Amino acid sequence: MNDTIVLLYYAFLIQSIPIIAIAVVQDNRKASAVTHLVLLAGLILGFSSTVSSLVSSNSTLLSFTLWGIPNQVFRFDSLGLYFLGIIQLVAIPTTIYSYSYLNHYISNGKSIRSTLVFYVLLLVSTQVLVLANDAILFLICWEVMSMSAYLGMIFEKEKREVRSGSFYYFIMNHIVAFLLFIFFLLLHHQTNSWHFSDFHLTSDSGAIFIILYFLSLVAFGTKAGFIPFHFWLPRAHPIAPTVFSAFLSGIIIKTGIYGLLRTFQFLHPTPEWLGWLVLVISMISAILGVWYALAQHDIKKLLAYHSVENIGIIGIGIGIGFIGSAYHSIPIQVLGFGGALLHTLNHAIFKSLLFIGSGVIYQNLGTRNIEQMGGLVHRGKYFVMLFLIGSVAISGIPPLNGFISEFIIYNGFFTTAKILNNYYPILMLISVVGLAFVGGLAVACFTKINSIMFLGTERKEVKQFQVSFYEYLSLGILSSLCVIIGFYPQPFIGIVTKVLNHGFVPENASSALLNINWMFISLIFIAVVLGILVVYIWKRFMQEKYGRRTSPAWGCGYERLNSRMQYTASSFADELNEISKTVLVYHKNIKKPKQIFPTQGSFESHAQDLIDSKILLPGFRKLSSLISRIEFLSYTDIRYYIAFILVIITIYSVIAFLWV
Amino acid sequence: MENVLSILFCLSLFYLSVTSRVKAYVTVLQMQGLLLTVLLVLPFVKHFSLYALILPTTLFIIKVVFIPRYINKIIRDLDIKRVIEPTIQQFTFLLLVIFSMTIIFIASNILSKSTDIETIPFASGFSAVVVGILVIIFRKKLILHVAGFLVLENGIFLFGIAVASELPVMIEIGMLLDVFVVVFLMGIALNRISSTLSGFEVTALGRLKD
Repeated sequence: MNDTIVLLYYAFLIQSIPIIAIAVVQDNRKASAVTHLVLLAGLILGFSSTVSSLVSSNSTLLSFTLWGIPNQVFRFDSLGLYFLGIIQLVAIPTTIYSYSYLNHYISNGKSIRSTLVFYVLLLVSTQVLVLANDAILFLICWEVMSMSAYLGMIFEKEKREVRSGSFYYFIMNHIVAFLLFIFFLLLHHQTNSWHFSDFHLTSDSGAIFIILYFLSLVAFGTKAGFIPFHFWLPRAHPIAPTVFSAFLSGIIIKTGIYGLLRTFQFLHPTPEWLGWLVLVISMISAILGVWYALAQHDIKKLLAYHSVENIGIIGIGIGIGFIGSAYHSIPIQVLGFGGALLHTLNHAIFKSLLFIGSGVIYQNLGTRNIEQMGGLVHRGKYFVMLFLIGSVAISGIPPLNGFISEFIIYNGFFTTAKILNNYYPILMLISVVGLAFVGGLAVACFTKINSIMFLGTERKEVKQFQVSFYEYLSLGILSSLCVIIGFYPQPFIGIVTKVLNHGFVPENASSALLNINWMFISLIFIAVVLGILVVYIWKRFMQEKYGRRTSPAWGCGYERLNSRMQYTASSFADELNEISKTVLVYHKNIKKPKQIFPTQGSFESHAQDLIDSKILLPGFRKLSSLISRIEFLSYTDIRYYIAFILVIITIYSVIAFLWV
Repeated sequence: MENVLSILFCLSLFYLSVTSRVKAYVTVLQMQGLLLTVLLVLPFVKHFSLYALILPTTLFIIKVVFIPRYINKIIRDLDIKRVIEPTIQQFTFLLLVIFSMTIIFIASNILSKSTDIETIPFASGFSAVVVGILVIIFRKKLILHVAGFLVLENGIFLFGIAVASELPVMIEIGMLLDVFVVVFLMGIALNRISSTLSGFEVTALGRLKD
């Protein structure tokens, strides 16, 4: 065990080498190649040692010696290693993609050195973060992670939307960091230690327990993007370079989930109402997230809202786990937390797949607007296929991985209903309906983007559609992971069970996760796929025999069809958006052509986020106007400020004097 | 002995508040530096240790030798006027200083009953801080701001001696370094300002606001 961990250290060291390489190597292209190669080597080494220590570990390793020095700063427990594994797993394809992505910019003569440095910093700090056992180290890594992501985000800082979007992210980070400082200070005050392994409080400790939970929920929840605090996601994701937005959405928001799970380890058992709170917030996040996603026209913004939805689904699992913890029921906890953990992995995989896909599209078409895409399936058949795999996975359709984790969460609902009885079956039924609604909307949403972007005819002329080998490689790795977890989830379930047994539920407790007959599910999936294959082969056979009849699609009786006469993203989603104009602030601006010989007409639809546009933004504006009232104190002369300082010192001195 | 030196320090503050020559400020600073050095050396007359001499030596070099010379050089190079051009009457300023010093001394006297501080060094240090701030507030010349800041810093030093004689040496040396850097930067800034703006008064800096 110790050996593999030393290997992890070497992996981190190797990953840090590129910073020197970037400084030394003069040529941009070579610097980028060296950086990515070394980074990849470090990541692969790290990933293999993470997996091997995760599989072989039997207990939490707290203190160990590194090169003869005893060490207490890091903690190699299953939860940390699990998240480390996720980070490295996603970082590998992202790094491969990053090489080809940055090459485009190098060809355009843009300097990418700083971006490379930030990318390396981001990767290393995120990996160290999940291993930190020391609160101070955790906070340092947290800040380095957030700031390097911010600095990477402003890659195209000459654009106005980039500056404003990243500013929201920046503000969010400051709020989160501030809350985390208080959180850890309070924990330190309670336990007299800075080490995660010493943090432990039970709900008997009174108000401090609830305050800590609230701090954690707001801080980590903001980072994760739960709904009242999701405002930064749809702003920051679209403007970031694709590499960063893939990593941001795949990994960084998961550090919020990691924080929440750690909080649970510090502070448990949880009171029941907390479980319900998390469950309700997550349910709202999931439903509103997918609904808002449906109304978006910007592919990256749409994916960002889908992150909110999926974080909501993960949160639902955590909420169930909390409820289970309140009732000391192991099966409920296992299914809740297990579902959350597995969905974290799954979401990391398919979300980075989709983001990388959207990056490829953006690079080829130069737009993120879905309404201007179309007919891409004729350009890149395999690319569309890989994107489709991601879409199917994120919608939770069997047989891919999204289904597996959602299935566990559904199972959690039913188990809760069964074990707790009383009024629980009804509440759980409502939750099931809610989650099913989310799934349905997700399917609608991904049907929308796949059909509008890939099918039909080209709305805007596509000059070229090229997908490089590296892009295919990274998309291929991610989509094959989606397929593997979908068809053969047993090893992943095993790892999740291990994580749960080392820190969530007592060891050796029978796991409800393993009681599900996964083999049976795999068999069904394989049978379904075989069935489809058989039908396809039969179809080909018949086609050979009788030939294939092709004719243009029926054009509803219109002559001279052009590319503008097809379903658009807004028209596709209109029915669903119309359900509620209050929740989804949905405006339509229709100018119908009036005369007999129609001249001009136009249609526009805008959707805004209720919380964002009706609560947060007005709130911020109010705050800013309040603060600007003290502007009269602003002078150009430094002497006034010194005088203010003197006045304040005097007041403090008087108070101190009276105190004594 | 410490008390005598502290009172001398206070007298230098009075001189500071009535003088109208820029040069006098520099002399006062030099004298205060000397006083502080002596104050720091005093405890070691009985128990001599070479290590303990590091701080007084550094203090001497920076406060008595380097900074006054540097300020004099700036005054010469930039041809700064010799009068201080106060914003309020000298006498009013003196009254203000006396008033605040009285309050500080009375307060410290009361404080010294409940805590173990040495009244006179403590009160002198505090007064120096306040006078430093007052100098910054009521003088227009930028070079006098530097002087005010240095007086303030001397006050903090004295304060440190009075409150806890065993303030870590590293912290004091750090403070010295701080002051050194600030004065240096201010000198550079003054040089730059003189090349872009004609005056050496803070009011001129208001125009730099964006």
